Amino acid sequence: MSAQKLPLEIEDIKKIIPQRFPFLMIDRVIEASPEKVVAIKNVSVNEYFFAGHFPDLKVMPGVLMIETMAQAGIVLYKQKFQNDNLLYLVSVKSRFFNPVTPGDQLRIEVTPMKMMSKMGIFNAEIKVGEKKIAEAEIAFGSQDAKNL
Amino acid sequence: MADVRSEVLGIVSMVIEKEIKDIPLDAHLIQEVGADSMMALEILAALEKKYRVIIPEDKLKEMTTVNKIIGMVESARKKK
Repeated sequence: MSAQKLPLEIEDIKKIIPQRFPFLMIDRVIEASPEKVVAIKNVSVNEYFFAGHFPDLKVMPGVLMIETMAQAGIVLYKQKFQNDNLLYLVSVKSRFFNPVTPGDQLRIEVTPMKMMSKMGIFNAEIKVGEKKIAEAEIAFGSQDAKNL
Repeated sequence: MADVRSEVLGIVSMVIEKEIKDIPLDAHLIQEVGADSMMALEILAALEKKYRVIIPEDKLKEMTTVNKIIGMVESARKKK
């Protein structure tokens, strides 16, 4: 994807990743190249998941942080491969350091370990300001990756 | 090259979660040892990181046994 205009706004992001409300987890992409993608998610008190997680203490579920990192990973993959492959999560090694609460702006940075046309592995990190929130090593594959 | 052999075996054993003694050097990793193509990708990524080499995508299909992986690592290192 050469000569794309940054930042990528939500309508641009929707052209790249297939997820939609209530599962579109990135709001903006401020850096995008095959070597690195940086995305932003603004966490509002109106997020649907805060209704139940938890009624009296609003913290963003860690699994949704993984989804957030995975969606940034799709943007990273599409920097190298422009196709319509649907990508499935294959493995996740993750660690969480601090909770995310309403008002936080997540900065999601993803870098490839190995990006191939049918599968890949990448590193991901979430920060709020200088505070590290989570990190993960995520592997994904397209449906035909098993047939290699 | 005994060290490359034991290092590669260590990586393969860690990724596919089998003991080294259960991984014969010429056994087909997917058909005989129980690995899958995503594990092959993890092995490839770990090898690239450890040996600072680039192994192209089409080589993944050839990574069928530990001995073949060792051969690939050695030729990739020579090309550096």
